Amino acid sequence: MINLYLLEYALNSILREKLKSLFIVTVFTLLVFLLSSVFFITSSIKYELDSTLDALPEIIVQNQQASRTIDIDTNVADKILNIAGVSNATPRVWGYYYFKNEDVYFTLVGIDEFEKPYKKSLQNAIKLFDSKHTDAMLVGNGVFKMLKKHYYKEYLNFIKPDGSLKKIYIDGVFDTKTALESNDIIVMSNENVRDIFGIDETKATDIVVKIPNKNEINTIAYKIKTLYPNARVITKEDIKVSYQNIFDYKSGLFLALFVVSIFTFFIIIYDKTSGATSEQKREVGILKALGWRVDDVLKEKFYEGFILSFFSYMLGVMLSAFYVYILKAPFLRDIFIGYSNLKPPFELVFIFNFQSLFIVFLLSVPIYIFATIIPSWKIATKDADEVMR
Amino acid sequence: MIQIKNVTKTFDINKEKITALKNVTLNIKEGNVIVLKGSSGSGKSTLLSLISALSKPTSGEVIVDEKHISKLSDDFASIYRRDNIGIIFQRYNLIPNLSAFENILLPQIPLNPNKKTIKLHVENIMKKFHIHHKKDVIVKNLSGGEQQRIAIARSYINTPKIILADEPTANLDKKLSLSFIEILKELKQTNLTIVIATHDPLFFGLDFVDEEIELKNGEIV
Repeated sequence: MINLYLLEYALNSILREKLKSLFIVTVFTLLVFLLSSVFFITSSIKYELDSTLDALPEIIVQNQQASRTIDIDTNVADKILNIAGVSNATPRVWGYYYFKNEDVYFTLVGIDEFEKPYKKSLQNAIKLFDSKHTDAMLVGNGVFKMLKKHYYKEYLNFIKPDGSLKKIYIDGVFDTKTALESNDIIVMSNENVRDIFGIDETKATDIVVKIPNKNEINTIAYKIKTLYPNARVITKEDIKVSYQNIFDYKSGLFLALFVVSIFTFFIIIYDKTSGATSEQKREVGILKALGWRVDDVLKEKFYEGFILSFFSYMLGVMLSAFYVYILKAPFLRDIFIGYSNLKPPFELVFIFNFQSLFIVFLLSVPIYIFATIIPSWKIATKDADEVMR
Repeated sequence: MIQIKNVTKTFDINKEKITALKNVTLNIKEGNVIVLKGSSGSGKSTLLSLISALSKPTSGEVIVDEKHISKLSDDFASIYRRDNIGIIFQRYNLIPNLSAFENILLPQIPLNPNKKTIKLHVENIMKKFHIHHKKDVIVKNLSGGEQQRIAIARSYINTPKIILADEPTANLDKKLSLSFIEILKELKQTNLTIVIATHDPLFFGLDFVDEEIELKNGEIV
């Protein structure tokens, strides 16, 4: 049974040292806030990346000339299709289009509107407007918001390489589930993308290769490389690694913040474990003289540490949830997804990762409680007379 | 009730051995009031500390109610103090930022008492020692005399068999000291065994004191 008097005494002890308690709560909350925010953001981004990467083809083949990526011949797809183990090889037409008004890049993707698999997945992903234009496009949510902001509510005039304009009507908007990748995308017919970027009929941006057996990916990649020495063959795994690298690089900035707060936290821990103040020693001595057992003293100190650390932990978690999901994580979000600064902003999907929060809990609360109990235990096991002297 | 047999107590201070008590033997009967007198450093406080099991003798035995308290483990020593001993310290040893009520309640906290019963009990004791009107005042804001009454009330809260007072009037003026002596006189009526360590002459020759024992350089004179 919980001794409510001990609990009340512990609470009083915290309140008695207001300034010190406030400092500890501040540092502790900041630490939990930073850790939780990062976990919340990474969970959201990981969800986005996983959703995006799952949909990627097993191999992407690009053409290179003097190490520069250039358009690839569409007939390469037919030759790749002849390799055993390849179920599909499709030329893609796409590219980045600079939208000056917002200083961002949109990704223009061409699709063959008669190709059934694409059509089906797009129908699931969009909210269609009632439009019957031939030159039409489907846009990501971020693109839609930006266009709307600049009064492009129905169409956008794309500037072609020769300087002439191409009017494309907005036909629908993507759903936000895979926001990271689909947010900056504009989907239109292959012909329109070719027209806007000036890509010839016999050329494509790259070729996507579908391979049903995952064990064969590397062998097929090697065969393509042998067939076309100029080709850059990118596997799904390569893309995953490059995403991961960008992510890790960006998280370095966060580490600087994290190190500062963890350093302060461990100063507090060191201060607590290295010994109690004469006032704290005297108090433990008095309590023992009044008949408190070592066990009673330690229980009280446990409550004290628990109240302070758990309160700070909860405060930190709640603040970070508010910061990430309500305020959209200003600053930290830019650190993690900085590479897409030039792309339209996207929403962080709410992902409650209990495991991550539990790790934050383990890294903070028990350490603090331990640091509170150890010096008290050292004092409480001495003769009360010696402690009070 | 209290038997002290051939007790010696030495302290190691800065690698130097200091003998506070030398081969002391003493018997105190139940219900008696004893005054331990002697100058500062004579060993009075050390003797009280041994009776209350706050420290252990270097050699010899301390027996209270036929229990060898010098052999008690730390936890049992705490329980012994909680159930048998009330201590009034020279500097009162109150927790300065707690109220008078909360300070008096301290010895009861580990027992997790019933809220209503303990509230009534603490209030009755506060009335007995004329401190009830200061119940909710933070003790650091109280006068020396008031703080001492709280210390007395706190020593009495667990209805002990023995009260030990270490230089109880050292920080009080004469009027308050006499008032404290009156309280001790009242407590004597309840058959409490009281041991007072003091060098205050006000305690010498009092009619309700059963024995005066003088200590000098750690020995009974």
